[in-house]
Amino acid sequence: MKHASLLGATLLLALCTFGCKSGGTDTASPASDRAVGAKHLKLAFITNNASDFWTIARKGTEKAAAELPNVEVDFRMPTDSAVATQRAIIDDLLAKGVDGMAISPNDPANATDMLNNAAKQALVITQDSDAPNSNRACYIGTDNTAAGRQAGEELKKALPNGGKVVIFVGKADAQNAKERIGGLKEAIAGTKIQVLDVRTDDADHTRAKTNAADSLTKDPDLAAMVGIWSYNGPAILSAIQDANKVGKVKIVCFDEEDDTLAGVKSGAIEATIVQQPFEFGYQTIVTMNKVLNGDKSAIPAEKKVIVPTLVLHQSDVDAFKTKLDKLRGRS
Amino acid sequence: MFRKFGREIGIFVLLLVLCATVAALNPRFLGITNLANMARLIGIYGIFSIGIAMVIISGGIDLSVGSMFALLGVLLSIALVDKHWAWPLAVVAILAVGMGLGAIHGLLVTRLRIQPFIVTLCGLLIYRGLAQFIARDETKGFGSAQGFEALRTAATTNLLGVPIPFVMLIIIAVIMAVLLGRTVYGRHLYATGCNEEASRYSGIATKRIISSTYIISGLFAAIAGILLAFYSNSISPSTHGSSYELYGIAAAVLGGCSLRGGEGSIVGVLLGTALLQVLQNLVNLLGIPSSLNFAVVGAVILVGVIGDRLLAGRDR
Repeated sequence: MKHASLLGATLLLALCTFGCKSGGTDTASPASDRAVGAKHLKLAFITNNASDFWTIARKGTEKAAAELPNVEVDFRMPTDSAVATQRAIIDDLLAKGVDGMAISPNDPANATDMLNNAAKQALVITQDSDAPNSNRACYIGTDNTAAGRQAGEELKKALPNGGKVVIFVGKADAQNAKERIGGLKEAIAGTKIQVLDVRTDDADHTRAKTNAADSLTKDPDLAAMVGIWSYNGPAILSAIQDANKVGKVKIVCFDEEDDTLAGVKSGAIEATIVQQPFEFGYQTIVTMNKVLNGDKSAIPAEKKVIVPTLVLHQSDVDAFKTKLDKLRGRS
Repeated sequence: MFRKFGREIGIFVLLLVLCATVAALNPRFLGITNLANMARLIGIYGIFSIGIAMVIISGGIDLSVGSMFALLGVLLSIALVDKHWAWPLAVVAILAVGMGLGAIHGLLVTRLRIQPFIVTLCGLLIYRGLAQFIARDETKGFGSAQGFEALRTAATTNLLGVPIPFVMLIIIAVIMAVLLGRTVYGRHLYATGCNEEASRYSGIATKRIISSTYIISGLFAAIAGILLAFYSNSISPSTHGSSYELYGIAAAVLGGCSLRGGEGSIVGVLLGTALLQVLQNLVNLLGIPSSLNFAVVGAVILVGVIGDRLLAGRDR
């Protein structure tokens, strides 16, 4: 009895300490900065889940906040990728009273109402995933179809004589997955490269590896595998290593997980297509600050700011990794 | 006695039929690589499923296992990669944390009389949150395993062609089967699961028995957690192991455990685990759309349980 209650108290205390700590780092803006000419702004950045990708974007928002003393940034990572979790965060922020928010909507196709509602009360920018039918002021992020085309071009280079390919992704109905796969198929149209299947794993890394291993079993003459989401690259690489097929089965993937970069460097992965989340974070905050201070020209006529994706080959990895480690504060 | 065996024979037949069907449709199912791949996963899943089954036999439930994988995986990665602990120390520490968390569950269930569902549901939430907080929402991994190559090799390699996790599962299964079937502890456990109050009045230390099952479940979750971490080699704190406890519960129930407690066997749990893995494998091998994965798994579990129900009805 005594033990149990002591433990309960400790846990509570621990949770409270954690809560306070993260609250402290989230909103860092001394009140004295209000004196500066520009309007004091409360801006929010809302991600669609919790991952490394967003910790880099956070650095971008922090850089912008450091440059703009009148801006206070509230960075929110929902604990899961459920639409309801994100919705609750947005409602809370609106209730709290923010001037602008940059949102990566979890379900862009059905987020229109939610975004329009938010846009009535604050400036709304979409980032990472766009909801073009909503009243968002603009979109800042990747053109995933173009990124898919880049992956397709890499696949063509890796397989000049064509071959069988399987694509791996967490959820095939996710907007970025649809666009990347669409762009890829567009790029390889008319070649002898044949996409056999798209296997999904619901973002479970273990299943991602099992899917890759099972595909190698099912089609021993597979020529290449494509990983659409960030963890798919390492999962495919790991399965290919287990099957002793490094080099025999080519890999093209997306994003910059540590194992992916190691794979590109060793030559086991042909290329990876990387986004620039740091720029998402930085540019959304800077743009929102400009617009809210009356500079409407910050938003282009087509209401889209595309942050280009980069293709990384073996020779690009070292320089990229140095830059990345610096952004993540690892170095 | 016949009824108890009948259950296992039923699921065994279902497993055989399923394997034969898949093998007929795609002979590569029986290829060495595929069997080794499956055996590795059966090993990992089987170990924690046995732990969950122990809790279920005692009349409880353990929902925290999936989140424990995330927490222990993150801690393991930090200990090995960031803190450069010697790997035997890291492994012992992880096993101790797993057992410690299990002991806490046991204390809360037996001393404070909180329902196991609630205790372990809180565990599910707390451990997931702690994993995400400790990892700062970054995916943890093991890189090139510098300094603990031996551990990674041990967790991922094959022994005479049999994957290590499967070997470990067999060892654990034999020990647990003996413990359940041939010892006083085993008899007391079944008795406690059937009727805790009656067992207590007849002199069985039910609190200790129940607590022990949570500690065993925590220990096995830690063992499986280490193997799983090295299998995926990447631990995303928000998704790693998410809902895996349900696979363990499904395997236990398929294998004849009753959620009311007091029933179940290790052989049954092994068969249940194997069945679940064959199902996952066949979805991929037969090219069934991945989106149907859960539906196929759910449907086969339902068929198994319905079959068991009908058989049981005839016996009575």
